[in-house]
Amino acid sequence: MVGMGAMIGAGIFVLTGLAAETAGPAAVLVFLLNGVVTAFTAVSYAELAAAIPESGGGYAFVKEAFSPFLSFLMGWMLWFAYMIAGALYAIGFGSNFVTFLGLVGVHLPGTATLGPVSVPVGATLLSLVIVFLLVGLNALSASASGGAETLVTLVKIAILLVFAGFGAFAVDLGNFDPLFTQGAASLLPAMGLTFIAFEGYDLIATVTEEVKNPTENIPKAIGYSLVATVVVYLLVVFVAVGTLGAERLGAAGETAIAEAAAGFMPTLPVVGSGATLVAFGAVFSTVSALNAVVLASSRVAFAMGRADQLGGGLGRIHHRFGTPLRAVVVSAVVMVLAVAFVPINQVSNLSSLFFLLSFVLVNGAVIKLRRERPDLARPYEIPYYPLFPVLGILCNVALGLFIDPVIWGMGALWLGLGAAGYLILERGEDT
Amino acid sequence: MSRVVIVGGGRVGLATAELLDEQGDSVVVVERDPDRTEELGGEYVASVVAGDGTDPATLDQVDLERTDAVAALTGEPGTNLAVCLLAERRADVRTVMRVNDPGAETRYEDLVDAAVCPEEAGAIATVSAVLAAEVEPLADTEGVSLRWVRVGEDASVAGRALSEVALPRGALVVAGEAGIPAEDTELVPGESYLLALEPGVVEETTDLFRG
Repeated sequence: MVGMGAMIGAGIFVLTGLAAETAGPAAVLVFLLNGVVTAFTAVSYAELAAAIPESGGGYAFVKEAFSPFLSFLMGWMLWFAYMIAGALYAIGFGSNFVTFLGLVGVHLPGTATLGPVSVPVGATLLSLVIVFLLVGLNALSASASGGAETLVTLVKIAILLVFAGFGAFAVDLGNFDPLFTQGAASLLPAMGLTFIAFEGYDLIATVTEEVKNPTENIPKAIGYSLVATVVVYLLVVFVAVGTLGAERLGAAGETAIAEAAAGFMPTLPVVGSGATLVAFGAVFSTVSALNAVVLASSRVAFAMGRADQLGGGLGRIHHRFGTPLRAVVVSAVVMVLAVAFVPINQVSNLSSLFFLLSFVLVNGAVIKLRRERPDLARPYEIPYYPLFPVLGILCNVALGLFIDPVIWGMGALWLGLGAAGYLILERGEDT
Repeated sequence: MSRVVIVGGGRVGLATAELLDEQGDSVVVVERDPDRTEELGGEYVASVVAGDGTDPATLDQVDLERTDAVAALTGEPGTNLAVCLLAERRADVRTVMRVNDPGAETRYEDLVDAAVCPEEAGAIATVSAVLAAEVEPLADTEGVSLRWVRVGEDASVAGRALSEVALPRGALVVAGEAGIPAEDTELVPGESYLLALEPGVVEETTDLFRG
């Protein structure tokens, strides 16, 4: 449920607008194809998670298969990807909360001029506030988060199904004609942009140690959440494009779903306007997704710290709070910087890029372990091996290539920083 | 966090893997029997490699380079010794082997880093349990055994100050429930004392205390 929680969570609310802006009505295909591509990696996660009982997700698997340096890079990338995903959800929260307040009649100042630049004060401030709030919560208590995740996920799915249910009657198929307003080639960059919406496998694998009868249930959980996620996404995007049209969705950006809802939702008893309900869903989802990734990023940092791969005591559990305090604080700083200074589609691209690269490594880990450790017991085996891991690698690399060079530059900067730190640390240990 | 390879996934191997996994160490179990391999997978405390631990081709699949310790825990001391020697040749790892006879540990001193006898450990725990903590043996160290012994109501030392009691040579009261005893410490009936005992005086001294 945690994995599905993060996946279904905010991805759909925040990314539908971006996908529509890039690919037009074909945004529906974008989510479908992304579902197919992640399925290749999903089976790899299933095989590894069933065979290697370690918490820490993709990082733990890569650590088992590859050299310490590569596994460090894997952890370093995942950590960053979660932090940046957190920034994305925080931005989504801010904008959607402003929309929600607008629907219930509270208006915040839209933009303010700060020197030469105009800043959307209300939304950005709200984004920063939620980052501080959730990071604070996660820094001070290890058990505060994660408990109500199942319920939260069900509420999110229910709200999305209500949206899709009412919207289905308002869909104008004319909005899908022509399907490729931006050209068929626009699918690939849009897929790269929204890939982050499918990050949940790693989260499922991160918490595997807490599942009953895990060798059987983890592969199942991964399969079910993939199918459920793709179905819900397709319904929602189909309705959103069908009612509002791709152009207006794109213009609405991270509040696209709430905008679409405003067009057709009837007035509901108790909650008032149906659009308010959907906007509330968006706010709610982004908070829970943000919480999930803050938790995930601190778990990755903790796993790295325990393996002595993170210097400066970053992964060390604080003696009083029981959490990797320093890692959480660093996560917060990165999230805040990203929220404040990086445009939303670049944030999304950056996180997607790192997830793509880490998925390449996970597929690679499957292949390497099959070759080097044929006798490792694998309670779940990928069918038609090596078809899916190879396809997974090819597709993930292909999508990565369509991501902006500027984003690659930012990514390389982070990797270089990590690699330099790692080598210095290693040298320190040798002498 | 340590990485530990356990060869032999029987009851001792599994119980060891569970304890290590609980405290966050990463464990790989090598098991020969296919049915047992499947059971171990279901326990989800360790990765399982199916094969014979004395076969170099199997042992090469556990990544000894990154391993801190190898524990050979099959029921066959010969197999266990072979696994330890093989592992030591392959990589710089700590080796632990299981022996079956209490007291056999010392025979392998030069060959492995440590030898354990689960039967002896089980016997020690059982003695504590059947005597309801009247006598609690701790692990034997070189030539000296340590055990907690409770002072009986009608024991000859009951209520006496330590200075009044003539303990046999080779026996020492190391600690009491209240701390480290002094000359004038009274041996209170019902309380336990930690005795360090040389082999020849074990029976005599415990008898003094238990009554």
